[in-house]
Amino acid sequence: MINYIFRRIGYMMVTLAIIAVLGYLIVELPPGSYLEFEIARLRQQGGNVSQDQIKALEIRYGLNDPTYVRFFKWITGFVRGDFGESFQYRQEVKDLIGQRLAFTISISVFSLLLAWGIAVPVGVYSATHRNTIPDYIITVIQFLGLSIPSFLVALVLMVVAQRVFGQQVGGLFSDEFQNAPWSFARFIDLLKHLWIPIVVIAFGSTAGLSRIMRANLLDVLGMQYVQTARSKGLKENKVIWKHAVKNAMHPLIMILGGSLPGIISGETVVAIVMNIPTVGPMYFNAQLNQDLYLAATFLMFLSILGVLGNLLADIALAWVDPRIRFE
Amino acid sequence: MNQSSESTTKSVFEGEDTIIKVRDLHTYFYTDLGISRALNGVNLEIPRGKVMGVVGESGCGKSVTALSIMRMVAKPGKIVQGDITFFRKDKKKNDAIEEINLTKLEGMGPEMRSIRGAQMSMIFQEPMTSLNPSYTIGDQIMEAIILHQNVDKVEAERRAVEILDGVGMANPSLIVKRYPHELSGGMRQRAMISLALSCTPAVLFADEPTTALDVTTEAQILDLMRDLQKRIDMSIVFITHNLGVVAQMCDYVTVMYLGRVVEQATIDDTFYNPMHPYTSSLLRSIPHVGSHQKDRLKPIRGVVPDPYSKVKGCPFHPRCDKAMRGLCDVKVPGLTVVGKSHTVRCFLHSDVEEESTYVQ
Amino acid sequence: MTESVNPEAQMNEVNPEPQYEVFDDPVSDVGDLSQWQLMRIRFSKNKLAMLGLWGMIVIYIIVFLGEFIAPNWYQYQNGDYIFGPPSKITFIGPDGRFSLRPYVFATTTQLNQETFKFEFTEDRTKKIPVKFFVQGDPVSVLGFKTNLHLFGLEGGQRFYVMGADGLGRDMFARILVGGQISTTVGLIGVAMSIMLGAVLGTASGYFGGIVDDMMQRAIEVLGAFPQIPLWAALASALPPISKDFTVVHRYFLITLVLSVVSWTGLARQLRAKVMSYRNADFTQAALAAGSTDWRIVLTHMIPNGASHIIVIGALSIPGMILGETSLSFLGLGILPPAVSWGALLRDAQQVSVVVQHPWLLIPAAAVLITVLLFSLLGDGLRDAVDPYSI
Repeated sequence: MINYIFRRIGYMMVTLAIIAVLGYLIVELPPGSYLEFEIARLRQQGGNVSQDQIKALEIRYGLNDPTYVRFFKWITGFVRGDFGESFQYRQEVKDLIGQRLAFTISISVFSLLLAWGIAVPVGVYSATHRNTIPDYIITVIQFLGLSIPSFLVALVLMVVAQRVFGQQVGGLFSDEFQNAPWSFARFIDLLKHLWIPIVVIAFGSTAGLSRIMRANLLDVLGMQYVQTARSKGLKENKVIWKHAVKNAMHPLIMILGGSLPGIISGETVVAIVMNIPTVGPMYFNAQLNQDLYLAATFLMFLSILGVLGNLLADIALAWVDPRIRFE
Repeated sequence: MNQSSESTTKSVFEGEDTIIKVRDLHTYFYTDLGISRALNGVNLEIPRGKVMGVVGESGCGKSVTALSIMRMVAKPGKIVQGDITFFRKDKKKNDAIEEINLTKLEGMGPEMRSIRGAQMSMIFQEPMTSLNPSYTIGDQIMEAIILHQNVDKVEAERRAVEILDGVGMANPSLIVKRYPHELSGGMRQRAMISLALSCTPAVLFADEPTTALDVTTEAQILDLMRDLQKRIDMSIVFITHNLGVVAQMCDYVTVMYLGRVVEQATIDDTFYNPMHPYTSSLLRSIPHVGSHQKDRLKPIRGVVPDPYSKVKGCPFHPRCDKAMRGLCDVKVPGLTVVGKSHTVRCFLHSDVEEESTYVQ
Repeated sequence: MTESVNPEAQMNEVNPEPQYEVFDDPVSDVGDLSQWQLMRIRFSKNKLAMLGLWGMIVIYIIVFLGEFIAPNWYQYQNGDYIFGPPSKITFIGPDGRFSLRPYVFATTTQLNQETFKFEFTEDRTKKIPVKFFVQGDPVSVLGFKTNLHLFGLEGGQRFYVMGADGLGRDMFARILVGGQISTTVGLIGVAMSIMLGAVLGTASGYFGGIVDDMMQRAIEVLGAFPQIPLWAALASALPPISKDFTVVHRYFLITLVLSVVSWTGLARQLRAKVMSYRNADFTQAALAAGSTDWRIVLTHMIPNGASHIIVIGALSIPGMILGETSLSFLGLGILPPAVSWGALLRDAQQVSVVVQHPWLLIPAAAVLITVLLFSLLGDGLRDAVDPYSI
């Protein structure tokens, strides 16, 4: 088991190294650089940008270096926890992303837990009540959930809340707590705001997960060992939950890792719509404005989350499935 | 229904005590493609303490019969008509026999569950898939023991080891801690047999238990089953399409065709005096030791019609060399006693007509 | 078993004159159908799947005849109807009686001097009949130039079934025309994904070893990136619209971006399929018969996997459509002057705007219906191919 985990971590490091190179290249791919935006902005402000100023900016941001030098500067810094400076904000990337990343992670993880908590029982119910009216109703809801991107759910929800209830939905804090220091009241206020994006993001993945759970369970229910369990005289509930569900969960755990990037990616777009101070809005902004180190660092962190999710899922799978454990 | 003159306890097998009697059993599967009539009026008797073989080509309803008796037919399948009577012998009450109509019980209800696993159990064809990959062998055997025998975990494990030892498993106390994927096919089937026998059932349904095994292992498992059957004094319903295995194992034989029983007889009568054309065709299609090299095997003409279709008259008549137009293709032959412990359904032997009707 | 009594002799004793006759097989033909025929039967019995199929056909027809069906040209800017609401339709004629012909009220626009917003007032007394095949804006439908529209108002008057956007353009027309991009992006993207995924997945599954290892790493890396941010990064690398880089170029490159990220799922599933085929008896038999790798892949594996490729493809179309919608919504996908549902929804990004003009959200309904129909179709296909899988 320990060996297995170490081997997986080894793979993960290789994957991360490739991701770092690829991610950085993709972020640098767009034509033009931040400097051009900056010069255009300075010119717009009426100033004539002198050659010296341009030089100074180029040196400051290391824009004269070839790409690979910039990459090495960034990645070696990244490993040491120094992510470079944001061009737009003139601040250390480190100071910009901390809280946002924490919000992104907590919203994503809570969405995932919520999605799982609902999807498994719903999937079991609709598989064991296949082709009944409740199953059809669940199927319709699942299809709806799969058909609406979460940002549209967020949008519709906000419009309805404002039109029907006259209530502003969005953000993470009420106005009075926006810039207040952390306190219990602020925390409660956060929770009051946090559940909406969590529900919105969980909605789509719940639909997908419960659909997969239903399919897996139907597969497993056709297995011989389920008949064996029945032939012992076990209660149907025990046959399903002890013998079938446990095995039907394996593929679900396997995709658990894969579903985290999906949830994060949904979160980034929902955050833009709902004006939540998470990674999403700042990342897209950085990407559009060629804020190189900020965008690259965000992309890297989002990917690390995905890879980490995969690793945890693999370990969890080895833990529940003896066939993998002993390999 | 064919209740008629036979009393409920007297068997068609002379001198035998009937443990399960099936009358006019219809089990249908309601699928997207239509109704699959898996069982179309099955009538059979299982003698107590004997081994009865059930033979027939694939898809003739052998397994569905066993599953129907165990009341384990799951959706979209359904028992639509017929009676299954179980004559339960209570050892505590001086071997008093209690008659239970299984079709009247709820398939997953408490009465049926107390019978299943304790009084009847089943082993399946694929030892690879019939054990749950997520639990140890011990866990799976102990589960049945704890469920039916009211003992604690320690005692259950002790009994599990004992049973595994009884089926000739080496190192039983180690095996209980193993997962199914760590065992070979033969070992798994032994484990499966231990599981099925853990509560000393009165009837064991063995659904092609050796088909997936190699010949040596098959012989060992067959010996084991025969041996255990004598020790526990249980009935075995041995489902197979291998007539060689039947000859080796069984006391009586039931031949099924397209969801019906066409012939029931002793092992000798089946092989030396088959009455139904289908039984004789089956026998002709297998090789014999000592037959001449030039003699060609005769396969049965045609294939089993798919169970979605409704064959009018005798189900075998489209493939039968002796079918009589105007009779076999119109009427369904009924049960005829043609000899000692020998019944057949064929118009070649009498003109008794089946009273059963189709139900939709 | 060593000797057997001739059973025929005995039977003849019982019934001395057996009639040897062969009857016509009175059996059903389920057993004789080919795999594809069975799939077709199962598919056509699935009502939801048929709804998906016919619904999609109807949507494609409507969308591609969109410029003819909508009463206005989708780019026509009506300065008098900025953020105009959907026209009210009545079936009560000017004579006060019910008629089958719908009427719309004449509207007048006034600028509110205090709020600087247009206000629209209906003239309840003036009813204008909606007529079929009226002359209107010149449009081109599937390459044919016409100024005939399926329905509309006569005499150059305009009406807006789904209201107008911030430039006074007909939302209905824009949704229909936007559908041309939104409904095809999925198809073309999936076609590209299938090509990438099929080639790489098959190679990886068949050859195994180093090829497989590298493929697995590549899939793992691509799978670890969160999809939308990766799409966004790739899409932002596309050059801006110019003379050399038209909306059509951008459209194809966006579908390419979509498929570059999403071929991995397909490749992974095909790899699993091919690996199971590689160990199957028919492959071993073909190998033993001396078939080349190519021959085995082409004549044994691809036909066997074809139904699965179709199913996996059909099931990934909704994701592609949603991907385009998200990207365009973020302003990274389809850009003006081209329209797509996502690009239309970009106007709905500001909640305060949508609260006042809720018809800007109608494109979301179009997305929902289309994706729903495609999902039903894909699901039905999967059930038809492998009834036990789901």
